[in-house]
Amino acid sequence: MNDSSNVAVAVAPADVAPAGITRKTFFEANESSILGMGFIAAVLAIWEVVPRIFTLSKATQLFFATPSQVMGALYDLFATGEIWPALEFSATAFTVGLLLSIAVALPVGVVLGRSTSMNAMFDPFVTAFNATPRLVFLPIVLIWFGIGMNTVVIIVFIGAVFPLLINTYEGVKNADKLLINVVRSFGAREWKINTLVVLPNSMPYIIAGLRLAIGRAILGIVVAEFFGGTTTGVGVIMVNASGKYQVDLVFAGLVLFMAISLVMTSAVRVLEQRLSRWRPEKVKNF
Amino acid sequence: MSNFWYKRQRLVMGVVGVVLFFFVWEALFSWVFELNPFYISKPSLIFAAWGAVIENGQLWSDILVSGRPLAFGFGAAVVVGVAFGVVMGWRARVGYALDPFFTALYASPLVAIAPLVIIYFGVGIAGKAILIFTLCVFPFVFNAYAGVRSVDPLLVNVVRSLGGKEKDLYLKVIVPTVLPFLVAGARYAIGRALVGVLVGEFFAASAGVGYRIAYYGDLYQLDRMFANILTMMVFAVIFTEGIRWAERSAFPWRVGM
Repeated sequence: MNDSSNVAVAVAPADVAPAGITRKTFFEANESSILGMGFIAAVLAIWEVVPRIFTLSKATQLFFATPSQVMGALYDLFATGEIWPALEFSATAFTVGLLLSIAVALPVGVVLGRSTSMNAMFDPFVTAFNATPRLVFLPIVLIWFGIGMNTVVIIVFIGAVFPLLINTYEGVKNADKLLINVVRSFGAREWKINTLVVLPNSMPYIIAGLRLAIGRAILGIVVAEFFGGTTTGVGVIMVNASGKYQVDLVFAGLVLFMAISLVMTSAVRVLEQRLSRWRPEKVKNF
Repeated sequence: MSNFWYKRQRLVMGVVGVVLFFFVWEALFSWVFELNPFYISKPSLIFAAWGAVIENGQLWSDILVSGRPLAFGFGAAVVVGVAFGVVMGWRARVGYALDPFFTALYASPLVAIAPLVIIYFGVGIAGKAILIFTLCVFPFVFNAYAGVRSVDPLLVNVVRSLGGKEKDLYLKVIVPTVLPFLVAGARYAIGRALVGVLVGEFFAASAGVGYRIAYYGDLYQLDRMFANILTMMVFAVIFTEGIRWAERSAFPWRVGM
């Protein structure tokens, strides 16, 4: 331990000094974001320019959409208002399904984290369901809940509940035993222990689980809407468009899902960083 | 010793949980409720259906049909993903350039490209393999990237100073650092690959485990549908737990990374 820290000190000045003394140019200071954004811009530009330089065959044109066409299709979706009912449907299913999974995953996660015997009994189920793509249950969910909102909500729910459950459980298991004992010594009951110590302690894990759950929930929306879970929704627009070879519209739906997904996950990431600022250990991902 | 007993106790309780689950399910629909075969099935019927599809060979041929695009897509994802990740980790500027682009793709629900993939590559094995590849390449890219970046420069210098060859550098420092990351990436990737199998087969297929689930669901043959769901679950658990086991036994110092 001592040795390695000595070595680190010996190495450090050589590494650090130039950065501290020399003045960075604008490019050097922002190199990573310039290169990153530049690459994305370049990809889009090439994609846009290729069909203008090379004339594509009629057949290829049928399957090809440039970014400007995609943006046009996206604009049309909003301009004609066609998107709003679909978006409203997808957003409602997403919100209800996610809230439902939080409502189930938190209490069950706390129970599984606090009780070793319950945990041992439920472990095979959690492992098996978490490993299996929840999409396998779509046909049976369709039979049970019919075409419509309920099916999509259930698919979102079973997609989102396991990452949340596992992370809650993991967080509860790693809650500070000393604090739990202190609170218990002062006469707290199980409910108080959980609300005072266990839940706040496991919050970073739960938020990390939430980030995964959001990804799974959007995945659930997409697949449930693709495979006949509903007759409205953004996914339905995409499938119908692909049936008519309206590639620009398919891409527009893809862009919409990407945007929603990026906004939601980065919002949770901000929350995650804010909430885990005070704790040194790294939160696990599953 | 107590640890050993603890593990065995967990195993026993887990088995008890599973047995209890199937028993309660069977009992509910044998004695409490009347079984409506268009709505639900029960374990005895499901296992009988499982036996039937094993006996007439359908199960094996379906597994082969589903397994081929999985193997192609996953294999290609390993090769391409690791190559990209290593270059990104090795050359900082390549990393800077590709990271946001790949992050955006990784964070977005890529199954949404399934209709496009079917349009471009058809309903055959190629379309499915490409869908699977797209879904599971990014865990390999990002884990190889993270793995290469976490190679300790000090260790590299030590090997060099002590007269190590390029070969020693790779075998003693780089591979042992990167490999655990890749195995962890494989664990994420296999789950996404199975989603790809299902989506591909739900969209367009005439055989395969995922196709059977949708097909028997449409026919309301729920015992066979559940049998195929069980097949899928068994493979999913074998894959993920197998990789987890490999992680635990090969790199015990990195569990839970």
